[in-house]
Amino acid sequence: MSRIRLQGLTRRFGAVTAVDDMGLDIADGEFLVLLGPSGCGKSTLLRMIAGLLPPTEGRLWLGDTDITHLPPQRRDVAMVFQSYALYPHLSVASNIGFPLRTRKRPRAEIRAKVAEVAATLDLTGLLDRKPRELSGGQRQRVALGRALVRDPGAFLMDEPLSNLDAKLRAGTRAEIAELHRRLRTTTVYVTHDQVEAMTMATRIALLNEGRLEQLGTPSEVYDAPASVFAATFLGSPAMNVVDATVRSVDGVLRAEAEGLLLSLGIEADIPDRPVRLGVRPEHLTLTPAGKQGIRAVVTAVENLGSEEVAQCRAGHTAVSVRGPRPLGVTSGEAVTLAARPDRLHLFDQNSGRRLAWQAASVPEPV
Amino acid sequence: MTTEVVGESSRARRLGGHVVLGLLSLVCVFPIYWLYATSLRAPQDVSSLSVLPWPLSTASYTEAFAKNDVLGMLVNTGVVAVFSALGQLLVALLAAYAFAAWRFPFQRLLYLMFVGTWLVPFQATMLPNYVLLSRLGLLETLAGVIVPTLCSALGVLLLREHLNSFPKELLDAARMDGRTSWSALWTVVVPTLRPALAALGILLAISAWNEYFWPAMVLQRSNAVVQLGLRSFMGTEGNDWGPLMATAGLACLPVFALYLVLQRHIVNAFVRSGLK
Repeated sequence: MSRIRLQGLTRRFGAVTAVDDMGLDIADGEFLVLLGPSGCGKSTLLRMIAGLLPPTEGRLWLGDTDITHLPPQRRDVAMVFQSYALYPHLSVASNIGFPLRTRKRPRAEIRAKVAEVAATLDLTGLLDRKPRELSGGQRQRVALGRALVRDPGAFLMDEPLSNLDAKLRAGTRAEIAELHRRLRTTTVYVTHDQVEAMTMATRIALLNEGRLEQLGTPSEVYDAPASVFAATFLGSPAMNVVDATVRSVDGVLRAEAEGLLLSLGIEADIPDRPVRLGVRPEHLTLTPAGKQGIRAVVTAVENLGSEEVAQCRAGHTAVSVRGPRPLGVTSGEAVTLAARPDRLHLFDQNSGRRLAWQAASVPEPV
Repeated sequence: MTTEVVGESSRARRLGGHVVLGLLSLVCVFPIYWLYATSLRAPQDVSSLSVLPWPLSTASYTEAFAKNDVLGMLVNTGVVAVFSALGQLLVALLAAYAFAAWRFPFQRLLYLMFVGTWLVPFQATMLPNYVLLSRLGLLETLAGVIVPTLCSALGVLLLREHLNSFPKELLDAARMDGRTSWSALWTVVVPTLRPALAALGILLAISAWNEYFWPAMVLQRSNAVVQLGLRSFMGTEGNDWGPLMATAGLACLPVFALYLVLQRHIVNAFVRSGLK
């Protein structure tokens, strides 16, 4: 049983609070990705789970055992480091077998286990090599092997793909995901790469300035971001967020700003309310001028291969539109952008938190 | 055309550089050559100024061996050099590891004080050390020569710099793999730092081998180490140059041998230490 529970976990460095009152319940077999920008506390949190850093406050359980004050060697977790941290003086086989030698297992057992792990990771031909004779991808697999060989209760991975080139990263990403599907070992994975988070996670914990910004499946976090931060962190290009006012006109709510008029499709009568309005670039469509929408001028068109991104300016706000190539617009062209009401996100102007609203059902255009 | 001119001038500069280096190495090597040349002259030619020692003679060596237990002295000096170097390495390794890998109160102050002892001249600690050895009954013993040298601020300073640039993730990985800090030191840090340890060890061994002043204080009544043995050929009525040079020549041989075998490490040691 390797459920990991965090309760009020806090870490301060002098006056700086790196991780603030973190509570998480990671189920057995889950692949939880700790996602966030640099300095958001995700690595600090992982190091506390590993036991490499004592928490200032809070408690930590692995299964039913309180491991808050246990040293790393007595926690049943293995870690893969960003730099791989392979022992440079040892061969691949000795590197993988290192944790077993520490536990004084019989030699024959170590040899068998190393061979088994090496076969899983396609390292069998490299067992006698030293780390310096390996490519980045091979080193990464040896680091994984050293974690795998122990059969730990949980894997902790600290940006393990960040030193690989783009192509290798995609391949290794798939391998790690496949390994997790096969072993079903609880995994906590730290990254700042949203693609890794979206493709590998069963749940994402989005961190910002040491606090948990949102916890949910990749779809939940992407489709219903809990805050402006979550909305703009996930997605490329980032979600467009503009200041607007929600106003009731003829019993129907709509968002208004200079050069912007979008129906929210809600029948209600409420006083005017300033909000932050968010819409993803792929949910904006180009419509004939004059209708309601966002009036903007195209400033640049970026070719992404299968898609194009049009960078536009609406008043003082930059807005991007993403769609299949060609979008059919050119730089300097005036356009009107529209979006379905159920694709609009509203956030409180002060706190930046998501405002819950019920979208009216909208018939698909025929 | 331009490239040719540049090529010529760089060749001339390189030639000039070689001439300067050649002259400098001649200046450095000549005294050593003269030492061996003098040791190989016949006793009546010892003061001769001829560049080539001819006829060759081993009389000086025979006399040196007859007058002193040269082999015994070489062995003793070897013991002092090896134990002094190993002891300093061990102390420096443990201290540097503590300073680099651990966090404890007053760490910086303690480190500065530790390294500050390097700035205290030998002459200032010489007498207290001598009195202490006398009370411990270690005067006239090799242990008396070795023990006061064991805590080397230089070694701590150099190894701490190495350990500071040592990837901390390796230590974390060792802890995750189940090692204690002590076990990580011996199974991860020491094997990884082997080149630096070898370089520092050689540097310490050579300086202990060449040490004259401290052994001369501790071993006043004996010639147990070779640098002191040289004294016996120096007298008020003049120096016995032939055997003196022969013994000095023999004293240099182990250092030369070490240099030939471990040339790369020794150069490394001097470069790393930023000394000499």
